Amino acid sequence: MPSTTVIILDAYPPPPPELLDALQAMDASLVTRTLRELREAPPELLPVADVLLAPAESDGAAVRMAVRRLRRWAGAPIVVVWTVTEFAALEEHVRIGHDYLVPPFLPALVGARLHSCSERAGLGRTLREADARAELMGYEKELEIGREIQAGFLPESMPVPDGWEIDVRFRPARQVAGDFYDVFEISRGRRLAVVVADVCDKGVGAALFMALIRSLLRHTAQNSGLQHLVAAGRAGGSRRIPVVGATPLLNAVTATNSYLTRNHLRQGYFATLFFGVLDPLTGSLVYINGGHNPPLLLPADGSPPVALDVTGPAVGVLPDCVYTLGYAQLDPGDTLFVFTDGVPEARCPDGRFLGDDRMLELLAGPPSNGKVLVDLMDLAVREHTGTAEQHDDVTMLALHRPRAARGPHVDGAGTRVVA
Amino acid sequence: MPLSVSLSIEGDTTVIELTGELDAKTAPDFHRTIEKAAGHGTHTVEIRMAGVGYMASAGLRSLVFAQQKVANDVTIKVVGAIEPVSRTIRTAGLDRSIVLSDE
Repeated sequence: MPSTTVIILDAYPPPPPELLDALQAMDASLVTRTLRELREAPPELLPVADVLLAPAESDGAAVRMAVRRLRRWAGAPIVVVWTVTEFAALEEHVRIGHDYLVPPFLPALVGARLHSCSERAGLGRTLREADARAELMGYEKELEIGREIQAGFLPESMPVPDGWEIDVRFRPARQVAGDFYDVFEISRGRRLAVVVADVCDKGVGAALFMALIRSLLRHTAQNSGLQHLVAAGRAGGSRRIPVVGATPLLNAVTATNSYLTRNHLRQGYFATLFFGVLDPLTGSLVYINGGHNPPLLLPADGSPPVALDVTGPAVGVLPDCVYTLGYAQLDPGDTLFVFTDGVPEARCPDGRFLGDDRMLELLAGPPSNGKVLVDLMDLAVREHTGTAEQHDDVTMLALHRPRAARGPHVDGAGTRVVA
Repeated sequence: MPLSVSLSIEGDTTVIELTGELDAKTAPDFHRTIEKAAGHGTHTVEIRMAGVGYMASAGLRSLVFAQQKVANDVTIKVVGAIEPVSRTIRTAGLDRSIVLSDE
């Protein structure tokens, strides 16, 4: 295997035969390129070489530009200029740091010089790789910081009302996630807000919008409707029962939608979300489903799940759209299972999805509690994914109303955190 | 699974034909094609999706992105999407601004 790779600059004058003989004698690997090719060829076609051999007559600045480009994409060769008679031209090159060869081009002399250039070029490449690694580690560290900061946009603790259980599973596919969930009190503690959302796409972009959307929803919900705790139900016009918590709910979703469509439409990020407001005393739930996978209400008697269908489009897509309210009732023993598409769209190594049918199979029969349900579904997702890469964030939230209210939770009412 | 994207003009319609899976990995190819298509200035951009077996939320984002890229009077049509794909579009409510059709 040749120890030294030499780019022979295809320029006038060509290297004298003695120089070429010396290169052959040292078994160098030779490639020929014009200056123009080095400066304009696609990066993937640039040769990786130890030495760029150029006649002293070539333009020093132009050669340097070509080497800069090689350094960026392939690794910088050491420039060696040769001449037989043009010693003045040689000076210009030496001044800008190029090496040189002059007659006699004896194989031993040429070989020794080029071997030493080859070692220098190799060292340069090693340094470049070390720099690249250091840069990559820097990015990874930044991403880790991003992950930690994003964790601060998830609830540190969840207020769990007496007589209720909330269990969450949150497994991002990458370091930063587009999914999120939130649980907080509104309407002066009389209602519980439960949010599960999925910001489209993945990675850092989705994570930035997650932070924005979560903040807008929570802030608006917590700071609106204080004057009007009661809003008229708007579903279909037939319901006229005033619903506490409906105003903050509507305000949060419509304000977030108009903020996003007013300020960020061009970026094309949006979220599908389920935002439910629970009355912990009665189990009545008013909700908005903004383009999200319908959550499933699992009745205590084991009858088929009831899907809480969409009541409006995804948030951040359409300016001035209307969100209607949906209503549901959670009786003792019932469970509401809210999830993101990472659950039904979990993929096994050969690409098959977990699928809605399998999900319904798993959910058949009432779960004894929310934790059992979340564990069961999470295990199913993990088993289905197997050795395949987890390609989407997985988020599940189970809101369960136990048959016999067990009074205040001894396992930390209001502070239970499920990682 | 990779995505193959082709772009052509048929009269006053720019046709983008997609085959494969539209997800976070492949969506950037689709984005580039949309930008080219938007430059054509036709009155309709037709996205043929019969060959798309799966569309993730990144694909939905591409459709929203497409709407942003084309002029207001340009109609975006999604044609031939299989049921799970068209359901994804309908669930998110994108069928309010994008025309979904079977052929």
